[in-house]
Amino acid sequence: MASNTPRTKVNDDLVGRYLSFNIGESLYGIELQYIIEIVSMEQITVVPSLPNYILGIMNLRGKVVPVIDIRLKLNQEPRPFDEKTCIIITQIDEMQVGLIVDSVAEVLSSAQTEKMAPPDMPASGENYISSIMHFEDKVVLCLDCEKFFSSELKM
Amino acid sequence: MPMDFDPNMEPMELLVYEDTTLLNQLDQILLDSEKSKDLSHENINEIFRIMHTIKGSAAMMGLNGISTLAHAVEDVFAIIRETPEALVGVAEQIFDLVFQASDFLKSEIESLQNTGEANEDPAEIVTELHALAAALKSGEQPEAAASAAPDAAGAASAPEAGPAEEGVYHIRVFFEDGCELENVRAFVLMTQLKDLCDELDSDPQHPETDSSLCAGIRANGFLVKCRPATSVEDICHTIESSVNVASYEVLASEKKEARAPAEQAASSTQTQAPAPAAAPPAKAGSSAQAASPAPAAARPMQSLISVNQSKLDHLMDLVGEIVTTESMVVNNPDLRGLKLDNYTKSARELRKLTDELQDVVMSMRMVPLTGVFQKMNRIVRDMCKKLGKKAELATIGGETEVDKTINEVLGDPFMHMVRNSMDHAIELPEERIAAGKPETGTITLSAQNVGGEIVITISDDGCGLNRETILRKAASNGLLMKPEEEYSDREVYGMIMLPGFSTNKEVTEFSGRGVGMDVVQKNLEKVGGSISIDSTPGKGTTFTIKIPLTLAIVDGMELVVGNTLFTLPISSIQQNLKLSDTTQLVHDSNGAEMLLTRGECLPVIRLHELYGLETKVTDLTEGILILINSGHKSACLFVDELIGEQQVVVKPFPAFFNKYPLKQIGLSGCSILGDGVISLILDAGNLLAQYN
Repeated sequence: MASNTPRTKVNDDLVGRYLSFNIGESLYGIELQYIIEIVSMEQITVVPSLPNYILGIMNLRGKVVPVIDIRLKLNQEPRPFDEKTCIIITQIDEMQVGLIVDSVAEVLSSAQTEKMAPPDMPASGENYISSIMHFEDKVVLCLDCEKFFSSELKM
Repeated sequence: MPMDFDPNMEPMELLVYEDTTLLNQLDQILLDSEKSKDLSHENINEIFRIMHTIKGSAAMMGLNGISTLAHAVEDVFAIIRETPEALVGVAEQIFDLVFQASDFLKSEIESLQNTGEANEDPAEIVTELHALAAALKSGEQPEAAASAAPDAAGAASAPEAGPAEEGVYHIRVFFEDGCELENVRAFVLMTQLKDLCDELDSDPQHPETDSSLCAGIRANGFLVKCRPATSVEDICHTIESSVNVASYEVLASEKKEARAPAEQAASSTQTQAPAPAAAPPAKAGSSAQAASPAPAAARPMQSLISVNQSKLDHLMDLVGEIVTTESMVVNNPDLRGLKLDNYTKSARELRKLTDELQDVVMSMRMVPLTGVFQKMNRIVRDMCKKLGKKAELATIGGETEVDKTINEVLGDPFMHMVRNSMDHAIELPEERIAAGKPETGTITLSAQNVGGEIVITISDDGCGLNRETILRKAASNGLLMKPEEEYSDREVYGMIMLPGFSTNKEVTEFSGRGVGMDVVQKNLEKVGGSISIDSTPGKGTTFTIKIPLTLAIVDGMELVVGNTLFTLPISSIQQNLKLSDTTQLVHDSNGAEMLLTRGECLPVIRLHELYGLETKVTDLTEGILILINSGHKSACLFVDELIGEQQVVVKPFPAFFNKYPLKQIGLSGCSILGDGVISLILDAGNLLAQYN
């Protein structure tokens, strides 16, 4: 579980750094400590009777990994995949999950920016944003991975 | 019970492992002996040895309850060993007591394993055993003892010296050269022997009082005269294991028998385990030797090696990867259209080897069902006694092998079912005679390997299932979905598998709590098995269990629906059909499609509709219909096309999907094919369960 326990020695240089990626016009970020790798779009096998945002499973070098379309999970319009579309492989609770994003941007360090708490959202809506970072002229919405996967993690 | 054996195991684990093995062995000996109504010398020795080993290792770990009880049993068998004829008349009592003792030990060892403690007090059984020992001893005539001993010595492999007069033995002990203080050492030895003898004398008497006796003891040895309380063996062991004893000899009237110094002699000439004090704890060399059956002639030598199961699992995974990689190489798209004779030849060779490798690895994980079957013997015996019924257990095909994981899961369901049969099905002897059946009922356990499946049947010749009673019970529990008369016999019998169903009027010690058959079914489903019931009122009931041979690799048929690949295990396919017209098709009142084939009307499952997949093939005449069956249900699966047969390695779905009911909708896992594409593995059982 070292991978998602913050501030262990190994992860020290990952803490406070975010991978930012594009979904439509907005920029999102995920903490680097949750991220294993980024792969290009692969063939995805559809698995029936799953929520619509779980597209199916993919073969990651012999490992079967579930794939989530972030757009659908965030209740946004689906968009056809193109050559910039990638899958971010994340790991949480020993489980690997692929996230489909429009494109990845860059790695940002929170030291360079100022963080602020997310605005209060209506209680009914699901809120996966843990904080909002300002980076020069860009605004990055940071995803809370625990919350983001909570519906699958909770048994 | 975990039977992994690892040299790094803690002494406690080693004890649990060893004692479990020994106790199972003990049960088997007792059952065999009880059946043949005779205790052979070998078996008496064997039981003695088992108890001795358990006593020794338990005492070492400070488990007093276990060691006291083992000691008491050992005492009884020591007497029986000396005077086998004392057994007459009390044999049954002895069997019962030893069974009780064995049960006590088992439960202690189990609690030791689970909680690390074993604190039960065996006082009750020990008292009974002591009483039995006393009774055996008092019934024993001095002449009988004297005449019996040579017999015993002749039959048993242990060398035994005849007593000099009325069971008194003379033993001359020599101490090691230069050990000094021989008189004190002699006294220490006498103290050790005191508890083991009814009478004890020595020459010189009271050696501790006079140090001048040392020279005499050094020259002539120290003579011990004793009448052993148990056996002369025990005395010899104590002498062997005491410090500084160089050698000793048992002086019989005219017979002399010299014995070599303790250690080597104990392991090479004795069939009996050395005294516990002499057994080195962790190495367990001596106790392991005691555990391995000594009469080598009776059992064939086996060269076995214990391997940690996780290593086997890993090996299995690797073989799975190799199978996948092999098909990846052989069916590589880069090679398409090329004519490669030599390559094809080598590829075939490789295929042959990987097949063989796979078979060998599978066979390593296979264990025979004998163990599970033997445990049932015990249940039948106990329940016969308690319920006053007469029944026998017949087993056929115990040598049939199943995967270790499956073997472990089978124990509990079998126990439930045999108990059910004993409790509900087999009638009391008088009822059986009145019904014109043999007085003794028979429960038959049989196992055989049919195709890729193990088929196990548990049948009894008891009263059979009562349709009316089941229906009434189902009605009172609100389980009936349609009018009673519409239920087929099979459906009615299947109801006893429903949770909370028990037709027995009262709860008994053994069964009737209504948590029986549904648990059985759950356990079997865990290993991909299924169960069906046949019954003839008045004649008996047969449960048929089908279990896949192994779980990891299946022979599957690849099929396509839209863009999705599926693998259907070949074992559930009956037939593939291509419809030329739709005349065979009928619709029921709900508009559901049914296919008339082979005189049966089977529901059509359109896979693309069931799973909401997009496909161009929606006309039944364009695609393929696959007749599948599982248990007693059949249906036609409609798919786009068949790709071909392939062996696939079953992988579970990622844990991420645990929340979603994929199993229930008929998907048992997935598999990565040679070209890297993932196919979903269909499970006919669960697919069909959604229909009907």
